[in-house]
Amino acid sequence: MTDLQRWEWGLLATPMVAFLILFLGLPTILNLVYSVSEVRFETLRSPSITGFGNYAAALGDPAFWRATWFSTRFAFVTALVQCALGLFLAVFLAPLLRERPWAVAILMMPLMVAPALVGLMYRLALHEFVGPVPHYAWAFFGLRPAFLGPANVFWTLVVIECLQWTPFAFLLFHMAYAAIPEDLREAAVVDGARPLVLLRFVEIPLMMPVIAITFFIRFIDGFRVFDNIFVLVGSGPGGSTASLSIYIYEAFFRQGAIGRAVAASVILFLVSFVVLWGLNALARRRAAR
Amino acid sequence: MILTALRWAAFLLVAFAINFPVLVTMVTSLKTPREIATNPTFWIEAPTLANYAAVLTVTDRLNLFAYLWNSFAAALIGAGLAVLLALPAAYAIARGAWGRRVVFPLVVNLRAVPLIIFAIPIYMGFQWLGLLDTRLGLGLILTIVNLPLALVILVNAIGDLPEDLDEAARIDGAGAFTILARIVAPLVRPALATAFVFGFITAWNEFLFGLMLTTRSAVPVTVGASFFFATAGGGVQWGLAAAVMMIAAVPPMLLGLLMYRSISRSLPGGAVKG
Repeated sequence: MTDLQRWEWGLLATPMVAFLILFLGLPTILNLVYSVSEVRFETLRSPSITGFGNYAAALGDPAFWRATWFSTRFAFVTALVQCALGLFLAVFLAPLLRERPWAVAILMMPLMVAPALVGLMYRLALHEFVGPVPHYAWAFFGLRPAFLGPANVFWTLVVIECLQWTPFAFLLFHMAYAAIPEDLREAAVVDGARPLVLLRFVEIPLMMPVIAITFFIRFIDGFRVFDNIFVLVGSGPGGSTASLSIYIYEAFFRQGAIGRAVAASVILFLVSFVVLWGLNALARRRAAR
Repeated sequence: MILTALRWAAFLLVAFAINFPVLVTMVTSLKTPREIATNPTFWIEAPTLANYAAVLTVTDRLNLFAYLWNSFAAALIGAGLAVLLALPAAYAIARGAWGRRVVFPLVVNLRAVPLIIFAIPIYMGFQWLGLLDTRLGLGLILTIVNLPLALVILVNAIGDLPEDLDEAARIDGAGAFTILARIVAPLVRPALATAFVFGFITAWNEFLFGLMLTTRSAVPVTVGASFFFATAGGGVQWGLAAAVMMIAAVPPMLLGLLMYRSISRSLPGGAVKG
């Protein structure tokens, strides 16, 4: 640490901290106030505090729980599939990709496209008359599945999410795999380890921290999913594809239920806070060991 | 030999599958309306650029350039301001051990918070301040979105610089601001560029806040593209919609290709470092 005065460091960080207070601190306070008030669009500036009715409304709404369940299930399934596929690709394609950065670039292209645009693109790709997917499903397999119908919509969305974001997991694993010191591999091979044993007992354990972090990031992004689902099916047949983000958006903009939307936001905030706090404490304890 | 062939086959299959939506859209954007209606395959019988010509023509009803300009301006503010705010703070965190207990973890964890939580009060505040439906308002929110990653990238980059550099300058009597501007900032220029480009791509691709905070004059292109799917007035004109989506998707893809090495290293937000 260098010997500047503490206030000098504080001064350097002030613009960012002020910005955060303005755009995150104040909204958090507003959230808390509105969540215990009776509020409509006409009375936005003079909310009257009424107690915890909004929380009761949110927690008593079956759609809230359905959205929570959708987000959790979607996040878990997509994170799992992306990590498994990404790991397989990183290991299986490693010999091809070592000297070919252009091939890696092709595999990371989907990460650069807006998820909202990807959702719109699938409206075209899955369209029953102009889309190639139904056309080829019929021509090759004689199938006419309703991709966005109640029976299939969840798994269609899972596939769309995984096709776009598996590259994220792949890329992290690709770098972690390449960073494993070569002498570790050689030592294991000298001891007679076959490739699969090497993978199972040397390489994967070494990559485990990266795998855990990647799973966590993908879980979070799956949990708060909005863009691609919203533009493709909205809240879906009977609200079956409403994630928590979509639930809050619709409660606010479509139904004008400001109080309930804000209460749901605060609940989500508290849950995120507790989960992140716990994970950080866990990471600190492991780092200290 | 067989294994190598298998690897190439897997690569080609995956490359096709993950880029499938963009490929479909590109193919469709090059077909005439008549062909789109009759030929949903990947084969284009009569390639045409008419769709692009049509969407790039400004009319009263439609001005694609306005959407593109909104996206560009908001992304520029969102990426530039995030870097400007993060640089001095990153210096204080990396060198002064300032804010390592509260501020730094708080900002980093912001990456994992569903931002919809703040969307409603921000909407109300913006209404009050007259920032709804402005490029500035959208850019300010995109700054929040970009801050965590920009801060992590810059803290790591400054932490990697040898400390003797600023020590020597301090002995010569330079203050913190001078050292930051004259010595540290030029040395971390690559990290500044990465943080900026990554922020620009993220901001350009953002949808939720664009949808909530704009209505007419500041609509970004991700939201504007969805207007082409409004079915009122005799169905979707798929060729035009596809051309718009290609135009909206290309800028971040090009930026990503240009910078993909440095971007891929900072994807995990520094969490995987070491």
